[in-house]
Amino acid sequence: MTRGDRTIVVAILVAVLVSIPVAIAWAGTGSSVATIVGPSGETRVDLADNACYEVEGREGIVMFEVRDGCLLCVSSTCDDQVCVNQGRVSIGRPVVCAPNGVVAFAAPTRRGQEALDAVSR
Amino acid sequence: MPYRASGADARTVSMVALLLSFASCVAYAEAVLLPSLPIPGVRLGFANIAVVVAILVSGSRSALVVSVGRVLIVALATGALGGPSFLLSIAGALAAWATMSMLASRGAVFSPIGWSVAGSAVHVVTQLVVASWIVGSTAPLLMLPLSLGASLPAGLAVGYSAGLLVSRIPETTLVFGH
Repeated sequence: MTRGDRTIVVAILVAVLVSIPVAIAWAGTGSSVATIVGPSGETRVDLADNACYEVEGREGIVMFEVRDGCLLCVSSTCDDQVCVNQGRVSIGRPVVCAPNGVVAFAAPTRRGQEALDAVSR
Repeated sequence: MPYRASGADARTVSMVALLLSFASCVAYAEAVLLPSLPIPGVRLGFANIAVVVAILVSGSRSALVVSVGRVLIVALATGALGGPSFLLSIAGALAAWATMSMLASRGAVFSPIGWSVAGSAVHVVTQLVVASWIVGSTAPLLMLPLSLGASLPAGLAVGYSAGLLVSRIPETTLVFGH
């Protein structure tokens, strides 16, 4: 490794360390509510109530489940299944299904943007 | 049939074709056989060994052919051509290629390891930005610390592997006009 290479590695490590508190601050600290954003709007999910949420994505249905206070993506019609393998949504760690244009994250929504695009059952 | 000669000689075309087929096979195997990592934008990325080798042995233009060609071939094979996954792949590949080419043009300041590490990081950041654009939310950017951190060992592994591979190729094979 050259000196230039080491500079790049250090720069990336610094970027990672700086971005951690920024991401946490950005995500907020409230973990009792999660937000699911889909192509047709967004909805807030109360993590206190166990329920399933069916979200209409660009390529099909993405299923989320609130289980024991955690929001998980349990199934998706996308090919790579990154969203299903991401595990539970936590602060600073959203679940993203890019092919379906759906993202779920533990952060409050802004007032007046609570149009439902999910079906609870 | 009219024949139009191009600037590329047969050895360059052969090497680019060889690297493109290697990159496509590895990327396809990675997409189909290996389980996806639970971090958006992060794959092991061993196909990028071919892109780094292409920059080393035949220049940036050849590397662009390998990088974009690999994305197109794998997208065709997996049925993802034109979809959001394809958009993520092509954006990441182009950004990584541009970064690695720029660093390679700086001579001996950076080695293939540095190109690869920087390319890997830029690939991840680009994919998260594009994913944010696709889903219409900045939430995917919250994955930046995790994704950027994971890109570092992947970039180191790819850069080291590419350097090792080139060191094992006989020098007579690597005489190209850039």
